[in-house]
Amino acid sequence: MSLLITAILFALLGAIVFSLIGLISGTDETAIMVPLTLLVILLGAPPAAVFSFFMAAVLAKHLTHAVPTALMGIPGDTTAVPLIDHANTLRRMGMPHIALRKMISGGIIGAFIALPTAVLLGQFLGQFADFFKSSTGIIFTLAAILIAFFSKGKWVSILMIIPFAFFIKSLDLVSFSILDKHLSISFFLGIAIGPIFCDLLFATSSSARKTIERDKAKEYHLAPETKTWKGYFPNPLKILTGRQQVFTSITTFISSLTFVFSPVGMTSLMGEIVGSRTKGAYKKSTTSLAVMNGVTESTYIAEVIIPLIAFGIPLSPVALGPGSPLFNAPPVFTVDPINNLHTYLTSWEFFLYGAIGLIIASLIAYPFSMNYARKASVLVMKLVSQEAIVAMFIGLACLLAFHEAQLVGIVLTFTVAAVGGLLNRILGIGAGVQFMIFYASTWIMMTLFGI
Amino acid sequence: MADNHKSPTTDLNKKTKTYLEILGDTILPNQLLFAVLISVGISLGGYNIGLWLLPSIASESMVASYSLLIGILGSVFSLVLCSILFKPKRILVEEETSSESMKQVFEDLQLDPLEELELIENDPITKKELEEFGVLNSFLALREEQKK
Repeated sequence: MSLLITAILFALLGAIVFSLIGLISGTDETAIMVPLTLLVILLGAPPAAVFSFFMAAVLAKHLTHAVPTALMGIPGDTTAVPLIDHANTLRRMGMPHIALRKMISGGIIGAFIALPTAVLLGQFLGQFADFFKSSTGIIFTLAAILIAFFSKGKWVSILMIIPFAFFIKSLDLVSFSILDKHLSISFFLGIAIGPIFCDLLFATSSSARKTIERDKAKEYHLAPETKTWKGYFPNPLKILTGRQQVFTSITTFISSLTFVFSPVGMTSLMGEIVGSRTKGAYKKSTTSLAVMNGVTESTYIAEVIIPLIAFGIPLSPVALGPGSPLFNAPPVFTVDPINNLHTYLTSWEFFLYGAIGLIIASLIAYPFSMNYARKASVLVMKLVSQEAIVAMFIGLACLLAFHEAQLVGIVLTFTVAAVGGLLNRILGIGAGVQFMIFYASTWIMMTLFGI
Repeated sequence: MADNHKSPTTDLNKKTKTYLEILGDTILPNQLLFAVLISVGISLGGYNIGLWLLPSIASESMVASYSLLIGILGSVFSLVLCSILFKPKRILVEEETSSESMKQVFEDLQLDPLEELELIENDPITKKELEEFGVLNSFLALREEQKK
């Protein structure tokens, strides 16, 4: 019973913190989810509570990141990018609040369809788990090639697999010879904060600096509020029309099964399919938004749950990015040997604690963004400066790296962040590819050089 | 970073580009430098104070976790502190009324307003929804504008 309460408390924590984070636009998903989830794990939260926290955090963040997307026309984070056109159409027609309500209602439906679907599929795929577990090295390598091919950089990502694996292994050997233990958190913190750190490096380079110089502060246009609806907790089903409910349910069900594709890709694809079957600008935009946000949510949740239940190794873009601490957060969770949520929780427990996370996030973030979207985003934008946000994440990264390996950890994290961040920003070798190469590096180096 | 130490106002007077865009938002470089120093200082400072102080009060196995917690509280505190010290630079334009007319929007999107109206008229569900949301009139106004 006490575990249930702990899980509820952690879900509350995740929902509240990430409801606020969601309001800050343009935040990088991986850079924010990874350090905060790591903290919860390293603080010693029980596995069930970690999972509830993560689920609540994901849903809460996605429900409130719809706010900047709808009200200001800037994507709340990378997963909201495909929605921006439709959101802008409605915003310019003077109905950003309708866009917002359609989006978050779709998101809620998507989340609650994805959870049971993903748990069942995960359990089904679990029968092939032994094969996957016995050949993780080669699977990681093949997956790295596949993910690299579908990354923004495409060929350059494939080309850089061996050099980057060499780089990782070299750092590993150096740090091992200093500390006599293998580091892991410092590595993937470095990959996660790469993009932020890359911008900071640009700022200090007299030649690269020009690309990020601006002559005036960034301007945000916030649409007016037109409150047309009463009550505190609107029924998400009533916000959508019958047709929208059907489309959202079908597409989110399908996307819960396709856990190896990127959420952004699935969102664009499903949005396009449904949008092209809908006539009229208003109807097309509202339907697409409900469907797309639902698909983002369901793909996201399925991509975490399916590999967790079935394999215990991160075999999807989300599991490699934001969800990676659930698989690998030494000394608590490890992938080799597999000792993580996969080993600690049964399918039923995944369902139960996942549901706790989703329900609590819905209870907090849904009415919050329905009722106070505009007020809250004005408050956050006026009070919290970007300097403070960037500084906090650099501070958190230092803290976690120091916790793992003192000064060596910090130096290692920022070395990886510098190389990974530049590869990411300039060549388009995304964080997912880099995470996969990190996991594959041991096998690649063993096969090539026998070390 | 040598030229970052000039105050932003003198930079403004010289009309040089003062702001840098980090992670999608604009910042002042020297303020960011101080913010990072404060944040790293407080969180690592808190962690190390924990490591030094806690062994005498807490059980040995929890020292690292509690120290981490102090470090996290430190970084949250630094978020508040830095936000007070360094005010947000964003310019927030709150649009009181929709600045564009519907007609303009439809022209930009290369859509036919009459066709849209017809679709709405023939679709009772959408029409009712627009009415409930209180925006049906702005669509109907399209027809008036079109007649002109």
